[in-house]
Amino acid sequence: MMSDDDGRNHRFEPHIVAFLCNWCTYTGADLAGTSRLQYPSNVRIIRMMCSGAVDPVYVLKPLIEGADGVLIGGCHPGDCHYQTGNYKARRRYVALREILKATGFDERRIWLRWVSASEGQRFADTVNEMVSELKELGPNPMAEKWAV
Amino acid sequence: MMDTVIPVENRDVLAAVRGFLRQILESGLVESLFVPLEVGDGMAVPALVTDANRLALANPLLPVMPINNARAVSALTGKRTPARLGVVLRPCEIRALIELVKLQQANLEDVILIGLDCPGTYDLAEYQASPADQRIQLSDYLAAASQGETLPGPPSLRLACQMCVQPVPGQADIHLHFIGVDALQGILVTLKDEGALAAGGFAALKGQNRLKPVETTAVEKLISTRRQVRDRELAAMRARMNANGGIASIFAACIRCHNCMTACPICYCKTCLFRTAAFDHTPEAYLRAASRKGAQRMLSDTLLFQMTRLNHMTTSCVSCGMCSAACPSDIPVGTLFSAIGEQVQAAFGYKPGHDAAEPLPLVAFQADEWTEIGEER
Repeated sequence: MMSDDDGRNHRFEPHIVAFLCNWCTYTGADLAGTSRLQYPSNVRIIRMMCSGAVDPVYVLKPLIEGADGVLIGGCHPGDCHYQTGNYKARRRYVALREILKATGFDERRIWLRWVSASEGQRFADTVNEMVSELKELGPNPMAEKWAV
Repeated sequence: MMDTVIPVENRDVLAAVRGFLRQILESGLVESLFVPLEVGDGMAVPALVTDANRLALANPLLPVMPINNARAVSALTGKRTPARLGVVLRPCEIRALIELVKLQQANLEDVILIGLDCPGTYDLAEYQASPADQRIQLSDYLAAASQGETLPGPPSLRLACQMCVQPVPGQADIHLHFIGVDALQGILVTLKDEGALAAGGFAALKGQNRLKPVETTAVEKLISTRRQVRDRELAAMRARMNANGGIASIFAACIRCHNCMTACPICYCKTCLFRTAAFDHTPEAYLRAASRKGAQRMLSDTLLFQMTRLNHMTTSCVSCGMCSAACPSDIPVGTLFSAIGEQVQAAFGYKPGHDAAEPLPLVAFQADEWTEIGEER
């Protein structure tokens, strides 16, 4: 894939798929936009009603297809608009990380972050941070693996 | 806890077990009994029995396991068990049943769990292929078990059994001992509920626990032998998953028949996503996918299917190995699930199949756990 050293001077730009909860992180991302905060355009946002509604299969599909990172955004613990969805998301995230670690994936490609509706800056920072760490990791090897 | 001994005449353990089951049914301790019945040619088929005369062909001791019977008990109990039911199960079947209870697919009310020590089961196809007179003899099988050993084949012992470290049923109401006790002389039975002893018309064992020290040593010996095999096999599987090609190459031969899912006692969903049209893509979609990576596996989404199944049930995997037995492509599905399951279960400090009151890791949560996650800056 494209990388700094393939002789064609392409810069590796990671693809990030983000599942953001409607009430906190998605609104936080909106705030980042309306506040004109700058953050990289590497992230493709999908709005979910709750981080607890993010089925692990939604995270696995882009990872297997070759996305470089998946971000799950939810309300801070205690703030879930459905009371406990984010606590459940946290357990699923822990299980998924273990499974990815065990199966030869790099679990550092999946991120879970609590970002509230008022934290536009935190959302912009999260995306910045994720992009720079994914650039360190390099492209997802699954982007080359077709026999999956 | 109370022990009793079923007398065995002429070393005929099977006749003694049948007599015991008959006594349980006829005494009214249970109103129906779930147990495999012989159908000829050295095979038995699981059945729900209400007529004690049918128990003349009962045989829960065949050293093969075509199916994990926890599923059948799920069908027989559902939300409410219609009449007091006794179920004769191996330890891995009891563990699977307990997971199904937590998944609200079975219940244990009015169910009496009759658990057998399981010295291990053999490859079904090899067992069936061997001539009847050369098959594993029950007396030899039990003699080895009394020493904390499993009779070596042929036929070959299933890999899941070679690495089974839970050959003794932990949750049984009635526990029939075969490991570390000479069942050919008499079958040691432990009853959890002393009332059952009286209801079933059994006499308490005098000078009880006489056999226990021997038994414990033999059980420990069997478990430690298997622990070694388990550690070796799971380490090899982990190395394979982290090698070049990884998990994708392990499933290269997968034909997406879903046999592993069908054979799995835990995978219960009536409408599995992977049995819907969700992954029947249009020709255009395949072409688009191919142009992304330069090529596209047909059928697609094979790894996604396996990874999703891992996600759904590794926390509950009881290592019965039915998935490996069911795989037409000989993919070591069970070893892979056990290897990953051990890691995921450890992350939650969870032991599947041990306690019906213990909540499933992905259903329960605590507010004050993994508090560092999500708050990073």
